[in-house]
Amino acid sequence: MKLKLIYPKWKKLPGQTTFNLPPHGPVVFAATLPEYVDVSFTDENVEEIDWDEECDVVAISMMLTTQVKRGWAIADKYRAKGIPVMFGGISTMLHAEETLQHADSIFLGEAEGRQEQVFQDLQNGQLKKVYNYMGKQPPIELVGPARRDLYKRELYNHKGVQMVDLYHASRGCRFSCYPCAVSYLGGRCFRPRPIDKAIADLESIDNNRLFIVDNSLAQNKQWEMDLFREMIPLKKKWISHTIEDDPQVLDLAAQAGAWYVYQAVYDTSDYIKERVKRYHDYGIGVEGTILFGLDNQTEDDILRLIDFLLKIDLDLAEFTILAPFPHTKAYDDLLRQGRIFDKDWDHYNAGQVVYQPKHMSPERLQELYEYAWKAFYQDETQEEKMFKLFTNVMLREMEDGTYRPRNRKLANKTFGQDVDRSKSHFNAF
Amino acid sequence: MKVPEKYYDEVFNFAGQWDMPSACGLKIIIKNDKSYVIVTELYQENPGTSVTYAAESLYRQIIEAKGLKAENVCYIECNPDTNSKLSFYDEEYFEVTFVPDEAPKYRQLDHTEIRNILG
Repeated sequence: MKLKLIYPKWKKLPGQTTFNLPPHGPVVFAATLPEYVDVSFTDENVEEIDWDEECDVVAISMMLTTQVKRGWAIADKYRAKGIPVMFGGISTMLHAEETLQHADSIFLGEAEGRQEQVFQDLQNGQLKKVYNYMGKQPPIELVGPARRDLYKRELYNHKGVQMVDLYHASRGCRFSCYPCAVSYLGGRCFRPRPIDKAIADLESIDNNRLFIVDNSLAQNKQWEMDLFREMIPLKKKWISHTIEDDPQVLDLAAQAGAWYVYQAVYDTSDYIKERVKRYHDYGIGVEGTILFGLDNQTEDDILRLIDFLLKIDLDLAEFTILAPFPHTKAYDDLLRQGRIFDKDWDHYNAGQVVYQPKHMSPERLQELYEYAWKAFYQDETQEEKMFKLFTNVMLREMEDGTYRPRNRKLANKTFGQDVDRSKSHFNAF
Repeated sequence: MKVPEKYYDEVFNFAGQWDMPSACGLKIIIKNDKSYVIVTELYQENPGTSVTYAAESLYRQIIEAKGLKAENVCYIECNPDTNSKLSFYDEEYFEVTFVPDEAPKYRQLDHTEIRNILG
């Protein structure tokens, strides 16, 4: 059986880097398929869909809300040709009812241990409209190494430099953060993978640089420390979200190859300033993630926050505007208060205001968001700051013997396209 | 972010979206032949769909489970104070009206109205 697995494209934000990372969800899903399913994978962000490629079924994997409309359009086109289309992934779960209108089948929940049944049903002509495993997480031990062999590696390469691979060591989340749906999707308890399984997956990745995409590793200190300890011999270099604010954990993380972390900066307190410093003390870089548009932020608060960011020695900063994704508290609150004015899912990209902020107009919030990007990167561009972090990791790799020179054959390519030398973006790399 | 028990008399288990096992706090106050049904979001203690997302489905499940007459029910969603630093976790109450084929309508109740209901 031939399955065409598609990851729909989305429109990048103006301030966003043009880097395309190999997507994680599709290859995690592919690892759960029965052996007799022959998969070909297309990431539409880096290549066109070959509409003529023969297949028995199409599976569309969607992570972002900004992907859903494109995913539905792709499905409509295949279904018009008589090819059945299945959907899965995070944003399929968040937009299940709407997605159902464009699907022969939707899969809700985690895929491990469940695809044999789905494909048997498909072969028997009895594909169900909905496979509903919401809230019924399979044992975490079933999560195996992802099918990264499906990537066309040369497409995730910028001028000979391979992009980081995505990886996850846990699922679920015990926090219920205001703008986040992870605890709804993956369960409200933290489900760490057994260390041996997590390490086996890491070892299988033919890339020294990773992005550990777990929501927060700081949810089970003992497990977190055990994981880092076992990672040390692998000499990987990695990016992640928050790490436990504890000297022992930070020390182990640094030894395990922590390159830089995403750290939420939500106020101008000394705690945040010290938190950033503590990461730096262990040689770990910090990319601040700053969310604008919360109800406790006035214009002055946002301006003060931007000033603060310039003083706390962040290596990078990423600004976002609150987007009320379904199944978040933000969505519930704004819905009840009648403040959501834009229901076009293409606009839920965390760079566009789709609701009425409490203390300012939508236009003013948009201006402040754009001002923040400009102000933070005024003296040193995003590319220059990224290059510093990149240099940092190269030096560490040279020290421990894991450095791989860039692939000269791809020096004139960026994500599968010829490099346009007239553009200044990322020429430093 | 535990929700204080003062907000509810019982935990009501319900079928959330896609039949997800879900839970909310429930308090029913009967006054002058009217049943005030107050549902409270439990956050971490709710494994499934939020009370706001469950909306009319939750309302109907409570009416049926408790044998209430819909015409006598005033349905209220409570956003409990969880002692969070974030102001939007402050206590709020909304009266919810369900109209066929339309999105639910929400009206925030002021302190006096809440005091009158809670007695």
